[in-house]
Amino acid sequence: MKKACMGKILNVDLTRGEIKEEIIPDEVYQKHLSGMGLGAYILYNRVPAGADPLGPDNILGFCSGMLTGTGSFFSGRWTLVGKSPLTGGWGDANCGGTFSPAIKRCGYDAIFFTGISAKPVYLCIKNDKAQLLDASKIWGKDAVETEDLLRNTHGKKSAVAVIGPSGEKLSLISGVCNDKGRIAARSGLGAVMGSKKLKAVVLDGVQRIAVHDLGAIKKLSQKCAKWVTFPVPLPPGGIFAFVGSFMRITSVLFPQDGMLYRTILKKWGTVGMNQLSSEMGDAPLKNWGGSNVDFPIKKSKKINPDLFTDAEIVKYHCYACPLGCGGICTLKGEYSHTHKPEYESVLALSGLCMNEDLDSVFYLNELLNRAGMDTISAGGTAAFAIECYEKGILTIKDTDGLDLKWGNTEAIVALIKKMIAREGIGDLLADGTKVAAKKIGKGSEHYAIHAGGQEPAMHDGRNDPGFNLHYCAEPAPGRHTIGAYLYYEMFQLWKTVKGLPSPSPLYTKNSKYLANEEQAEWAVACSKFMSFANAAGMCLFGLFIGSKRVPTFAWLNAATGWNKTPEEYMEIGERIQTIKQAFNFKHGIDPKTFKINERALGRPPQTEGANKGRSVDIETMMSAYWKRFGWDEQTGKPTNETIKRLGIS
Amino acid sequence: MSHTITIKCNGCGACVKMCPADAISGEKDKLHLISADLCINCGVCGKICPEAAINDELGAVCLRMKKSAWPKPRFDLKKCVACINCIETCPVGSIGFTGRTLPKDPHNYPCLENEKTCIGCSFCALECPVDAIAMFSAPIKAAS
Repeated sequence: MKKACMGKILNVDLTRGEIKEEIIPDEVYQKHLSGMGLGAYILYNRVPAGADPLGPDNILGFCSGMLTGTGSFFSGRWTLVGKSPLTGGWGDANCGGTFSPAIKRCGYDAIFFTGISAKPVYLCIKNDKAQLLDASKIWGKDAVETEDLLRNTHGKKSAVAVIGPSGEKLSLISGVCNDKGRIAARSGLGAVMGSKKLKAVVLDGVQRIAVHDLGAIKKLSQKCAKWVTFPVPLPPGGIFAFVGSFMRITSVLFPQDGMLYRTILKKWGTVGMNQLSSEMGDAPLKNWGGSNVDFPIKKSKKINPDLFTDAEIVKYHCYACPLGCGGICTLKGEYSHTHKPEYESVLALSGLCMNEDLDSVFYLNELLNRAGMDTISAGGTAAFAIECYEKGILTIKDTDGLDLKWGNTEAIVALIKKMIAREGIGDLLADGTKVAAKKIGKGSEHYAIHAGGQEPAMHDGRNDPGFNLHYCAEPAPGRHTIGAYLYYEMFQLWKTVKGLPSPSPLYTKNSKYLANEEQAEWAVACSKFMSFANAAGMCLFGLFIGSKRVPTFAWLNAATGWNKTPEEYMEIGERIQTIKQAFNFKHGIDPKTFKINERALGRPPQTEGANKGRSVDIETMMSAYWKRFGWDEQTGKPTNETIKRLGIS
Repeated sequence: MSHTITIKCNGCGACVKMCPADAISGEKDKLHLISADLCINCGVCGKICPEAAINDELGAVCLRMKKSAWPKPRFDLKKCVACINCIETCPVGSIGFTGRTLPKDPHNYPCLENEKTCIGCSFCALECPVDAIAMFSAPIKAAS
């Protein structure tokens, strides 16, 4: 009997309406684990070179993590994989909620869809019976409505992943929703699901997930839970704005321990960072052109973390999470409840557009979740449109009468509604900044902040150049969930993985901005670790607590019965990352084109604010990163020796 | 090994109705069969069978139990970390949320929401990572 994984996947051909099981050999799990690793292995081998991301040849995979359902913590994330229509290369997005264990409960590690259905359908698996059912009655409904309807039909216990109207309308910044507002949003994979005419996946299974040594897993989990739950007294949320100011002013810093971040997450969730980030220069403001001077504490207090906990009815935990950073909140307007907006959503819809109205942020968060649109990309695209309008590139005629000025809440809400409905200017903007800038022309590309088509998240790479490196050098560009110098400090990988350097206990801030070998090594370690962690189904916020306190490697050994060292697991991460890069080359992507917009690199440097005078030597950093991975340092292509050494076929 | 049905089976179909995995099949009044691939060893078929015709995964005969005597989970909320593993694990969806019960503790804890549908399989207790669930057969007395 397989341990930790189920040993099977389900292949669904939507063109023919065929559903087939496939046994996956043990060797594949040994080399790639499950989750993103299994997805990368299948897609690299099966998506033909040059396939149209929105055509029948593209494969969309729903993969659960290797550790999901084993009794380990933070292991409830599932990964959506496919060729991205937004970047043209490797695409993935991951999400929490309860969908990941549901895949395994149906007896599969992953479900892969190919082809295009003639009419809207959804996949329903009830125990061993998998069938494609007619979705014409739910097509056009929003994500929450669809989930309610499907749960009423197929049982309250079933887990549902759906696309909203954005995905149906093939918006390239759409994602896949589950649990009424958790969303696998990045890489535009909602459009892939929409192109396949697949509205939803409904899972209701009860299969058991076997593990090698449940006692050992529980022992590790109980130790881990202590790190997560012990109470730490905290000041009111507004204090963090001043902590941010201090971090901006100080010239000396020390490596940060993730325990502080977990404490903030436990009390407020990611929104705990709202004011801290905008004060210290981590949050990009005014479409990456502004700074903390434009959005001082006087303005950022409108997004004070305490305002979010005030609106919170109850905490929301994803499956297998002892932390519970989410929440269910009340809000004003037509909807009664929403998932607590995340830091990324809040900053993208407020600071990036200079919007100071918190009610509108809550409303837009729910609206975008229901539409199945990526809040980061939607906010980034709205900010781009505003800047174009302010600079005279777009006129009031182009915007259908919307006065798109910085901070005009009404116009921003109306614009995003148009983007969801793909009406007028909304149609132009619904595919993200890269496509919009290409259509608009007139020099608008200078204001389109994207890396290879993907709008970067609300972490400024001029403040932590590690972010910029990962935005540009990852096979799926524009991601904030893989690495940064800050992340390397918090992962504390040097405590578990042999040969990795520990950061010095005190360093000057200026030393951060050097593009040197050591920092390339940190970035490579983060990339390997996160590729591995996504294959294991782990949550980034759990990993921030530190690799020793959240014992991912030990959990895996206890769950599978293997006896692999952390270094061997890191090699699995390296293999997955290299497959993703090779996937991009197979599909004719030049990784140099993933370089982020010059403005986000500090070219020219800003003249005021936290990131004044800083620019990032990204070319040197990318080259050093590629070299350390065993990829060609000029082109980023994985060398034959690397491919051979990692046994990629 | 899965649960199995012996020739004592009279084909009454009581187990078919209870099985959460849809693992049991057979015609009315004929010998039934448990699919080894689908069986999750929850044991509800053995508890309900009037003929003692079911053997458990170790081959021992399952004894019929009155429904009121089936064990039920009891949650120790001091240990519970609200990870909702039990809610997801429950094969019959009997476990639900308490909602926010204390003003100072905003977490959403699990509770036995639907006692009638609980089949006493103990999977929640088995899978609870922090061992916050124990199974009790006796009726739970309210703490005074």
